[in-house]
Amino acid sequence: MSALEIRNLRKAFGGLQIIGDLDLKVPSGQRHALIGPNGAGKTTLFNIITGWQPPTSGEILIHGVPVQQGRPDLVTRGGLSRSFQKNMLLESVTVLENLRVACQALDASRHSIFRSCWSFSDVVRRAHLAAEQMHLDTVLHRNVNELSYGQKRQLEVAIALCAEPKILLMDEPAAGTSPDERASLIKLINGLSTELTILLVEHDMDVVFAICDVITVLSYGKVLATGSKEEIQSNPQVIEAYLGQHHA
Amino acid sequence: MQIFLIQLLNGVQLSMLVFLLAVGLTLIFGLMNILNLAHGAFFTMGAYFGLVVANKTGSFWLALLIGPLLPFVAGMLLQFFVLQPLAQRGRSTHLDLALLTFGLLFATAGAVEYIYGSAFHSIGTPDLLKGRVALLGIEFPLYRLFIIAVGIAIAAALVLVIDRTLVGATLRAGVDNREMVTALGININVLFALVFGFGSALAGFAGIVSAPIMSIYSNMGIGIVVTTFVVVVVGGLGNLKGSFYAALIVGVTDTLAQAYLPEAELFAIYAMLIAVMIFRPQGLFGAAGRVA
Amino acid sequence: MSTDFILTRDKRVGALKRLPVPALGRAYAALFGPFAVLLCALPFFASGYVVTLAVEVMIAGVFASGINLLTGYTGLVSLGQAMFLGFGGYGIAIGTALLGWPLWVSAPVTLVLVAVIAAAIGAICTRTRGVEFLLITLAFSQMFYGAAIKLRWTNGSDGMTGIPRPDLSLLGLNADNPTAFYYYVLSVAALALLMLWRIVTSPFGSVLVGIRENERRMTSMGYAVANYKIGSFALAAVTCAVAGILQSQYTYFVNPDAMSWQMSGEGVLMVIIGGANVILGPLVGAAVFVVVKQALSMITEEYNLFFGIFFMLVVAFFRGGVLGAISKLIGKRHERA
Repeated sequence: MSALEIRNLRKAFGGLQIIGDLDLKVPSGQRHALIGPNGAGKTTLFNIITGWQPPTSGEILIHGVPVQQGRPDLVTRGGLSRSFQKNMLLESVTVLENLRVACQALDASRHSIFRSCWSFSDVVRRAHLAAEQMHLDTVLHRNVNELSYGQKRQLEVAIALCAEPKILLMDEPAAGTSPDERASLIKLINGLSTELTILLVEHDMDVVFAICDVITVLSYGKVLATGSKEEIQSNPQVIEAYLGQHHA
Repeated sequence: MQIFLIQLLNGVQLSMLVFLLAVGLTLIFGLMNILNLAHGAFFTMGAYFGLVVANKTGSFWLALLIGPLLPFVAGMLLQFFVLQPLAQRGRSTHLDLALLTFGLLFATAGAVEYIYGSAFHSIGTPDLLKGRVALLGIEFPLYRLFIIAVGIAIAAALVLVIDRTLVGATLRAGVDNREMVTALGININVLFALVFGFGSALAGFAGIVSAPIMSIYSNMGIGIVVTTFVVVVVGGLGNLKGSFYAALIVGVTDTLAQAYLPEAELFAIYAMLIAVMIFRPQGLFGAAGRVA
Repeated sequence: MSTDFILTRDKRVGALKRLPVPALGRAYAALFGPFAVLLCALPFFASGYVVTLAVEVMIAGVFASGINLLTGYTGLVSLGQAMFLGFGGYGIAIGTALLGWPLWVSAPVTLVLVAVIAAAIGAICTRTRGVEFLLITLAFSQMFYGAAIKLRWTNGSDGMTGIPRPDLSLLGLNADNPTAFYYYVLSVAALALLMLWRIVTSPFGSVLVGIRENERRMTSMGYAVANYKIGSFALAAVTCAVAGILQSQYTYFVNPDAMSWQMSGEGVLMVIIGGANVILGPLVGAAVFVVVKQALSMITEEYNLFFGIFFMLVVAFFRGGVLGAISKLIGKRHERA
């Protein structure tokens, strides 16, 4: 059974078709990249997979279970979490608090109403661990709105990881980061458990090639090609539609 | 049956009055994303300025013509010198601005009371519109028919302006996409101030129109503005045509409740609003997705 | 290198050495002791007028604290919280005067009913956000305000009188005595604020703050945010109802004006003055508001005019409030140190 399976997915806004008859299977543990020019429907696809937007038709199965539309929280609880293309952070609280709240979402303590949230040491510990993992431990007590853009991108991914997902969707995690930050991001993602399935949307091809085994090229909501790095690089259609713009 | 017809017409008349307020409120919200809780203040302002003019000149018509000028100027100044700079300062959200205008509503009522006292005033019905007309077997006051006609005329004029003219096209574009209007090279701040002034002038106009049948007093704007909120929410915030239909629904509901269900008089329209919010949170006529 | 914290999260238990105590928390703790002593000793040195004023401040403070949970912490600005103030007053009035229940039955029953009703109202209101939330809460409060004016059972716009104060004879006290009533209000207010403080520092409270900061992200983390918002709405309502009970006991009566939207606005104003999302902010805001209102009533009858101007100035220039300004000062000092 695939970790993530997309069947016959269609999405149209009014008359404008964003995604048309998309089929995609991502087996467990695969590192799968989704590339394509702007407007190819990548972010819309993420929104549909995570239950934020209903598809016009078609089906999404996560570990064989159909996604319940309109309940993104249940999708996350079901083991699929995502990072956003635009930072979605709790801006005026600290980095640690962002991570702590993220870790708390899975803990039974989230319903607790009279005990201090810092007394649930397991949650706090996991937040610290996540910070260390993401090299955010130096800015732990800073408010998010004081962070650099690159640090915010790291936090964005860190929050998604706090959900302890089996499938991780990352929407352009490297956008706007420095080469150093990018290198450490690659190192970090490659160090994650091999059981974790990753679906990555990214424009930076170096990041894509460094992380992913399989690449799917989308164009106007359709699959143009799927294959390994070499297959994609030598596919004439892909070169024309996408890579050509960058590697010309 | 006859009584029902009279009540129905009374309801329509109230609707048209509230529509004059609602159209400005919803236009301002749609264009500038500002919920102007002080809209009722311009209603009061227009009525009192009209009263002053009527007392000086003895002419209702002059009052109707000149009265709205004060709220027009005041609204323009408020938008241009207070709300716009605060909004641009960035930190203030449209919620802050709503709260600010909440203060303004009470400040205006207080200022009016300070100047004119808490007495009730009224402007006499103009001679031309005195008396009653026979209509479908009932006698109905001519002046109330006049209000209905004014409301419909203004609604029709607005539809014409907004659907058919360049100004209207610009406004429609502005509601949908603010950046685009700026891109057209139009000074958006001036446009906003003018629209704000126009909406305020309409509210003031309503204040004078209502003067022969309702009293002029310091808190007059506070009562009616809440009814106006109900109208704009039922119609869908920012939806002009929706506010016309919603005004009809709310005005008629309110009047009929007063006549036939006096116990429910003060809460019928709110109960209706809540029912609308339960089943259609975006308003009866609101386009889904255009949410504040 | 063990970078797989996702699957083996308990491996590195020793990583955590200290739990952070925010500097602000410590500063408040230092201020809190003397403040508490001052409040407890107030009737021994202050005049009767000051004690009465303090009672009004505490009642308004509880009301504003309820609003603060919803507005400051959860980020939902309501203009209808006065309806719950009214529910509290009417609840015990109906319970004691019309149904003949003792106060110690009426009050808890009132609070439980308010929680249930508020959860239902909250379920409807929290489907909207921003100015629409503000308008729908206003509509709800106007509806109950209108109903209270019309309802003959509760004497319409005249309201109900003869609301009992608690029987403190077991303690050898008479609650009709201003000093005894002061201590009663002080205890209830302290308890209410303590509970609120527990709530906002709890996991539940941290979710509310998260919703204020970024609701989409909270949903994406896996929180069913709708339930938290309804919970916040209900808890805020119960707090406001507690203030309503105290208020009606203080004046011995309740009338529909308790539910007017000006009353709701005053509550929001106190929250802004004191500084939203600081637990004692509303109390400070209430103190400033009550004192300013008293001072104004001595020099002018045009209360509306000054209330309105005051409101506008506070909103335009005073975001963050008194405690916000102090926090910034302490924060700066802390950074330099």
